Amino acid sequence: MATLQLSGELKARIENLVRTGYPHETCGLLIGRQANGTVSVTEALAARNLNRERARDRFELDPQAFLDADRHARDTGQEVVGIWHSHPDHPARPSEIDRSLAWPGWSYVILSVSRDGIQDFRSWRLAGNRFEEEVIAP
Amino acid sequence: MSTVTIRIPMPLRNYTNGADEVKVQAATVGEALQFLGANHDGILSRVLSPEGELRQFVNVFVGSQNVRALGGLATPLAEGQVISIIPAVAGGATRARDVRLMQLKSVIPEVTPGEALAMQAGGAALVDVREQDEISQGSPPGAMRLGRGYLELRIEDAVPDFDRPVVTLCNGGVRSLFAAEDLRRLGYRKVFSMAGGFSRWKNEGLPIEIPPRLDAPTRERYSRHLLMPEVGEAGQMRLMQSRVLLIGAGGLGSPAAYYLAAAGVGTLGVVDHDVVDRSNLQRQILHTDARVGTSKVSSARQTLEALNPAVKVVGYEAHLESRNVEEIFSGFDLVVDGSDNFPTRYLVNDACVKLGLPNVHGSVYRFEGQVTVFWPKYSRQRGPCYRCLYPEPPPAEFAPSCAEAGVLGVLPGVIGLLQATEAVKILLGIGEPLVGRLLYFDGLRGAFTELALDRDPKCRYCGDNARFPGYVDYERFCANVAA
Ligand SMILES: [Zn+2]
Ligand SMILES: [Zn+2]
Repeated sequence: MATLQLSGELKARIENLVRTGYPHETCGLLIGRQANGTVSVTEALAARNLNRERARDRFELDPQAFLDADRHARDTGQEVVGIWHSHPDHPARPSEIDRSLAWPGWSYVILSVSRDGIQDFRSWRLAGNRFEEEVIAP
Repeated sequence: MSTVTIRIPMPLRNYTNGADEVKVQAATVGEALQFLGANHDGILSRVLSPEGELRQFVNVFVGSQNVRALGGLATPLAEGQVISIIPAVAGGATRARDVRLMQLKSVIPEVTPGEALAMQAGGAALVDVREQDEISQGSPPGAMRLGRGYLELRIEDAVPDFDRPVVTLCNGGVRSLFAAEDLRRLGYRKVFSMAGGFSRWKNEGLPIEIPPRLDAPTRERYSRHLLMPEVGEAGQMRLMQSRVLLIGAGGLGSPAAYYLAAAGVGTLGVVDHDVVDRSNLQRQILHTDARVGTSKVSSARQTLEALNPAVKVVGYEAHLESRNVEEIFSGFDLVVDGSDNFPTRYLVNDACVKLGLPNVHGSVYRFEGQVTVFWPKYSRQRGPCYRCLYPEPPPAEFAPSCAEAGVLGVLPGVIGLLQATEAVKILLGIGEPLVGRLLYFDGLRGAFTELALDRDPKCRYCGDNARFPGYVDYERFCANVAA
């Protein structure tokens, strides 16, 4: 099982973005380094959800945001190592849609959020056709 | 030719041995990607479709501009430019509907359209649950078009056997899953859903028929039928394709035929050898004063066609006898017996038993009347035939003389319309026909009484080991036979 290293500070930042975005899905990128089954996240960026019609249950990350993040990561000797997104009023498990659109090699952090706040915070990684959960460590 | 750098995102680096950049020489973006693909097996198919276009879930940037906004793959390159391949990042929460669908798919077996067709050929019921406007564009031949909304109401009449395999189909294979689950809950044991629905059926080139639809004036005429799910468009079309034979255009046959024509029963056969008599007009509402002395069959035809020109009236100006009864009966779906004499009743009964036809029987006497359905072939309930109750006609001296028996003029209207009601129910396959039950109406008391009628297992005509003993022409007890 892979491990996602995410500081309490970054976690809180993502949670805050997700809570603020509720009831819409919010999404963003994780920047860091990846080695020997461990992903160390150094930055968590927010990105615009391009899917406006179904913002409650779909997200489509702005490719321009990706390009900027990728450039920024490369300039600092890092890379885009994953995606985070929220599931408003749904569990923090990858949906069928997530699975069908997922790419290998990235961490997929999913937050379950309701009106009352963050319910769950988990990370997943595509293994063949299915997602496997990752350990989140500070 | 320019030397450019292609930036490889992490998800595609397993194609480049982990390299995060590849340098290539190319004049356009398309060339650069082709070069990349030539050197790194498999990567191109993640970026370009088989038709050579950029995949929907990939964006390619030159510098900081999306090539979709530039010249696409033909976008020219300058020395030293950076091409970035950006995987589209998208997803979403699974809605409750999707969760439900996954659960359904785990319990409802799915079959392909080809398998569904083969199952139908093997006896399975193919049930199209789409809406009328979808079905009007085409449907598999022989499919039962029961709709989704009233499926539970209609399925038992259409598929009485709970062990018969049922394949549900809709347009895309989703609604059919829900329908299949409903059918399982109703008790159907072998229910399948057709994956991909009718659109896949069509794409695979399987046979299609365009079901006939009612035209606008017809829809208007029968709008009160169409409003009821138990009839609906399919039921109305069934009525229009139905053939009902009326024995007698008299007191019972008149109201029955009149309302069956109004209801849209497509073909009405009328057997009557008589001419209109002035004394008939007290109750035989098909006929008119001006037609006294003319044939009842032609009078009936005029009235019925005036009410509903779409109805085909087939007249038989003849006595019903053993030599013509089968010829006349064949091709009809149901017989409404309005005769008032024993020889005819026995012939009608015997022919209906032999041909398996429902015999909607009625009779009136003074202020009373009765109605029942003799139909030993009815699949859901085994009832009697007329001979189970009266194996032989009474001797002539005990039979009431029809010429002398009076009848309240409106009474045949009540009984004839009960017969018409039974006929329509049977034609539509709805409700419970009066099989094994006799409804007795006492006009003076204003009361209906229901009597149970038992079949006789030793009946010579419909009993357990009966072999058809032949028709009998009994002696006629009176000359004027129409009630
Ligand atoms: Zn998701
Ligand atoms: Zn019988």
